[in-house]
Amino acid sequence: MISGEEERMDAAGIPYMIRPGKGPEGSVLDLLGQLIGSGGADALLLPFRVPSGDSFAWIMFSDVSLLKDAVPFPATMPVQGGRALRSLTRKEKGKLRIIALMRPCEIRAGMELSKLGQVNTENLILASYDCPGAVKLEDYVADPVSCDSAHSEMRSRGEPSGNARSACSTCVDFSMVDADIHFGYFGIKDGGMLVLPGSPAGRALLEGLNLEEGRGLLPQWEAEISRLAERRAATREETFRETAERISGFDGMLATFSNCIGCHNCQSACPICYCRLCYFDSEVSRTDPEALITAAEKRGGISIPPDRIMFHTGRLAHMSLSCVSCGQCSDACPVSIPVADVFSFVAERTQRAFDYKSGRSDGEALPLRRFLKNELDGVHEMVKDAESEASPNE
Amino acid sequence: MKKSRNSVLVLGAGIAGIQASLDLAEMGVGVHLVEGTPTIGGRMPQLDKTFPTNDCSMCILSPKMSECVRHPLITLHIKSSLEKIEGAPGDFRCTVIERAKYVDPVKCVSCGLCEEKCPVKIDDVFDEGLRKTKAISRYFLQSIPSEYTINAGHCLYLTKGVCRLCEKVCPTGAINYGDMDREIELNVNAVILATGIDPYDPIGFGHFGYRRYSNVVTSLEFERMLSASGPLSGHVARASDGRAPENIAFIQCVGSRDISIDRNYCSSACCMFAIKQSIIAREHNRDLSATIFYMDIRAFGKDFDRYYEKAQEQYGVEFVRSKVAEVRELRNGNLELKYTFENGDIQHREFDMVVLSIGLQPRAGSRELSGKLDIGLNRFGFCRSDTFRPLNTTRDGVFVCGAMNGPKDNPESVVSASGAVAGAMEYLDAARYEPSAGGGGVPEKHVTGERPRIGVFVCHCGINIAGVVDVKDVAAYAAGLPNVEHAENVVYACSTDCLETIKSRVAEHDLNRVVVAACTPRTHEPLFRQTISEAGLNPYLFEMANIRDQCSWAHMDEPEQATSKSKDLVEMAVAKARGLTPLERLPIEIDPEALVIGGGLSGMSAALSIADAGHDVYLVERAEDLGGNMRDIFFNFDGSDPQEFLSGLIDRVLGHNRIKVWRKASIEDITGYVGNFRTKLTGESGELEELSHGAVVVATGGQEHETEEYQYGRSSRVVTQKEFERMLHDGSFPAGRLREVVMIQCVGSREEGRMYCSRICCSKAVKNALQLRKRKPRANIYFAVRDVRTYGFAEEHYSELRDSGALFFRYTPDSKPTAELIDPEDPHSRVRVTVLDPVLEKEVVIDADLLVLATAIDALPENLKLARMLKVPLNSDGMFLEAHVKLRPVDFATEGIFVCGLAHGPKDMSESLVQARAAAGRALTFLRKKSILAEGTIAEVRRERCSGCGYCQAVCAYSAIEVDPEEQVAVVNDALCKGCGACVASCRCGALDLRGFSNIQLYSVFNSLVRETAEGVVN
Repeated sequence: MISGEEERMDAAGIPYMIRPGKGPEGSVLDLLGQLIGSGGADALLLPFRVPSGDSFAWIMFSDVSLLKDAVPFPATMPVQGGRALRSLTRKEKGKLRIIALMRPCEIRAGMELSKLGQVNTENLILASYDCPGAVKLEDYVADPVSCDSAHSEMRSRGEPSGNARSACSTCVDFSMVDADIHFGYFGIKDGGMLVLPGSPAGRALLEGLNLEEGRGLLPQWEAEISRLAERRAATREETFRETAERISGFDGMLATFSNCIGCHNCQSACPICYCRLCYFDSEVSRTDPEALITAAEKRGGISIPPDRIMFHTGRLAHMSLSCVSCGQCSDACPVSIPVADVFSFVAERTQRAFDYKSGRSDGEALPLRRFLKNELDGVHEMVKDAESEASPNE
Repeated sequence: MKKSRNSVLVLGAGIAGIQASLDLAEMGVGVHLVEGTPTIGGRMPQLDKTFPTNDCSMCILSPKMSECVRHPLITLHIKSSLEKIEGAPGDFRCTVIERAKYVDPVKCVSCGLCEEKCPVKIDDVFDEGLRKTKAISRYFLQSIPSEYTINAGHCLYLTKGVCRLCEKVCPTGAINYGDMDREIELNVNAVILATGIDPYDPIGFGHFGYRRYSNVVTSLEFERMLSASGPLSGHVARASDGRAPENIAFIQCVGSRDISIDRNYCSSACCMFAIKQSIIAREHNRDLSATIFYMDIRAFGKDFDRYYEKAQEQYGVEFVRSKVAEVRELRNGNLELKYTFENGDIQHREFDMVVLSIGLQPRAGSRELSGKLDIGLNRFGFCRSDTFRPLNTTRDGVFVCGAMNGPKDNPESVVSASGAVAGAMEYLDAARYEPSAGGGGVPEKHVTGERPRIGVFVCHCGINIAGVVDVKDVAAYAAGLPNVEHAENVVYACSTDCLETIKSRVAEHDLNRVVVAACTPRTHEPLFRQTISEAGLNPYLFEMANIRDQCSWAHMDEPEQATSKSKDLVEMAVAKARGLTPLERLPIEIDPEALVIGGGLSGMSAALSIADAGHDVYLVERAEDLGGNMRDIFFNFDGSDPQEFLSGLIDRVLGHNRIKVWRKASIEDITGYVGNFRTKLTGESGELEELSHGAVVVATGGQEHETEEYQYGRSSRVVTQKEFERMLHDGSFPAGRLREVVMIQCVGSREEGRMYCSRICCSKAVKNALQLRKRKPRANIYFAVRDVRTYGFAEEHYSELRDSGALFFRYTPDSKPTAELIDPEDPHSRVRVTVLDPVLEKEVVIDADLLVLATAIDALPENLKLARMLKVPLNSDGMFLEAHVKLRPVDFATEGIFVCGLAHGPKDMSESLVQARAAAGRALTFLRKKSILAEGTIAEVRRERCSGCGYCQAVCAYSAIEVDPEEQVAVVNDALCKGCGACVASCRCGALDLRGFSNIQLYSVFNSLVRETAEGVVN
């Protein structure tokens, strides 16, 4: 854990614990019920299983009796939580004080959207939990039952397994983020759980609940988180290396995106893509038929739809500074293009260039909206490094 | 007083003359701009970069030059002189001699054939003789007007009656050897003089070897060497062997601060000039080392000290405080400097090149001019003006600006120009006017919905384009492009007959879009737009392809590629033209009133200037009394009485029927935009009032820094210069002996947290010390100083003080003087000051009867609140940050808001007065108009696509776009938008578009060039 987080935790208050018994899922639901009961919040936003049984949906409710049907740690991520937050608070802070329980990447997306004026966090209490990763939608729809047990296994080991998304295997921000409350259970024996306040608002809520002090559990949890983070970082490095090779140069991009069918599902699923109407869905960006024909004449042929690379690089240009690497795009792709691998890889670099990390506190300004005297120092070196990495033989 | 004519003669077309002309013309006043050389621009075009921002001098100047030549109210008289001013202010009769140009400016198309063929080579004055030019030439490449002129003294035909080559080659028959000098008479209301300065000619400095040693150059010559457009293309080389110098010495104060040559004034700009040159030279060559030999570094302007720091820290420029005694040339062309330190030590050092930082002096012939125009000069030969009338000459109705009345840098010249304009307003008619939209009254054809019918005109520009590009081929190619109805070649698209051709083709072919493939839109687009609007087309239905700069010039050795690129550019222009739509410039009404915030010297002066021009002014002061910081100033170098002036000023303000004053007032809110501001304020009564006004002048002032250093506040014998001045005035010295008086400079200035020079403290301390001399002749005066920055004519008083026996000790931030109370219990304790004397290299201890601290000038903390309300920026020191430090020194980027006085930065009374006048003058350029026209090419929001993320708001420099908090949609303020396109580029939702440069138009341009990316190819 980086020292900044320690400082924040000191400011936010001491950790609490919940003793083994109901297991993390039961304990979390219990605690959320208590919070509503104590008047700390008006409503909850939680995932529920859909009637067909093969997916989950976000439900906002205030009737605690519904809690028993909620699935606090769902196996998949059909709708990114950031999007749900946006739907509720896009125009203003909203009348209700809502507690939302979400994966860390969903909260990070919420933070980015907040900086982009699309989410208002003022009346939101964001709660996160240790996330082992999400199962691919494709796999889950095919066999929900065995995927559920695989996910349960992932939770107990704290690690993504075979049918998890690639983005989850490379995720290093799977635990405590800038949320108001965090539920930590990785590495804690017998189903005990830490309840960590992450902000003054979170602390105020938890203080009213008469919870047991949990500092004693901190060391084992922290040790496990850093062990898991190291392993995922290693996977991440390996995936980045493969991605760098795969997308190097125009030909690499072409090869990666050649089977794109232009459905724009990645853009629809992306929590950060916040435009009311995507530029690439607008008439402006469509190539004039006459121009297509002229091009076909000049070149002897042309592929339809055109501008696929333009679409993906355009999205990279727009989104990579805010990309939270949640993996929604890959999950949404009907032709299994590793969109998220490419986005994570590029995002890591563009964010590094501005000394920025997406999803941190919404008090931090987006790099392109902030003007500094000396910006992008050393970006030349980064470009050079990237070039030599991409073509080591030259 | 007769005010019917409304015109002003401006003499001198340097930056000051240009600014004055533009301001006047903007107010609807006719201008006769009289200039001696064949071009406007003055000294600035000779400069490469400008301090402290390293902006390219020509890049920032040339838009103003173009504007000046295009403005219908400005008449240029180049190669002309002002001989006489007769009559009374308000009704002057001026005699001007326009010298023969021998080239008809109407016919000349600046193709350059004449210069190419002219056999006479002469030294190029513009390049300081470092390059040759011809007897027929343009003064410099970007001369404005761009027409050629013949140098009669060198022309073979005019001197010996042979040659006439230029006449033979001129394709338009523009040469006229029979041209004669003409005397013309101009009737004007007022005259503004702006003849500028000459650089000092160091030929008299024999010991520095100028002209004898080839590697000794003046700073102006060095500037031409540094310039990318100069004779060496920016590659500095030694004249002796062509080698790039590796170490350069700059010798300061050549021709300045020198009693022996009767130039006991500081030229004010040379320190910064040398620092800039050393930085630029280092940027050209990283291995170069630069050493500046100086007496004091006078980096007294806004952000200058940071620039000085940067030169030392980032560029490793070495600063050696010493006096250079001699320069000697060595065998290899190197130069050995012999220089003396303050303690008398002598050293020698070798350099590759020596740059003499020459001073500024009155123009040659200024005495003669002053006789002809009946204006007074000061003892150095500069135009005379007084502290409290800094823009007036000794003759009523004749004003002065720029460096003519004392050395100035660019921004100060620009400020004084706008100030002189405000002065001239006194003699002009006060009626407001309605600016015309242009178009010549031809009704506009309706083209929306019509199929595009494009006409393409491909210009030869003599051989300028046609010499490289196959223009016939380009025109033929254009004719085959979709929607092109007509394409033809024209010899000179901009010539009068070709413009007529374009107009008749529009009618013949019923064209609804016009493309001209020629030179740059920067200079020529307005002309062509005007032409098509005379043909009944909306001026925005025009597009230009620059096949001169980008093809024939850039690829002059590859004619085929140049031709093929020309075709591409024409095709792109046609693609853009296809999507052009008519645009309208909407009028914005302007409220005639002004709000002036701050009732000190600057605020009151600005208010008076605006009110005298016939506008109501709301003057808001937070204190109980008017006067601000000036209430504490009692003396002046010239003996005039500041308090007398101030009380006169306050009486005039309070008695003025157009000025309404609020005292003990505070501004609660300011909303709106240029011409339409709304301000809420509470006055003495506590009642909330609301005002409407068209402009805002920020003159909130500054305050004295409250120091804790040097025992201040712990003894009555430690005072600030401000308190000391009052003491001198009241005679309220501390009781008892007053023999030892110590003055410490830079208290709080030029150090961490306040990395700027407070500018006025050196002169103020010298002034007060001289006053003390008068009252206590036997007192010993000691100064602890870092650099003595008595710039301009204050230098003389510094000499006087030194001659009177005052002692100066230098200190550095690491070796500050110390002060101890001799009796800490005594509130009137004397102070023991210890200062390190670098000359004697030992500590000097003085038991001071009085310790006077020159404390810094601080920005007001309240600036922040006001800046937020006005949406204008502050600099890192909390002072208001102008739109452009060089050329828009009193404007903000947000239109209709202006700044002056200490709110902008430290300055003295005279400078504050000039700046106040300038702010008033600039405000009047808006207030004089009943309405202004918004730009046609402005951003627009497609509401249905906007997500309200606010990126656009963050990048807009003009505060012209905001997200409506209720609708979550961005809204453009048409009045403020400048059409720069930054917001459009920032919008990822594609909700923003720039009219005239819409995404669809630009996409079609790209598509016409690229068509399809490589992925489109089927293998």
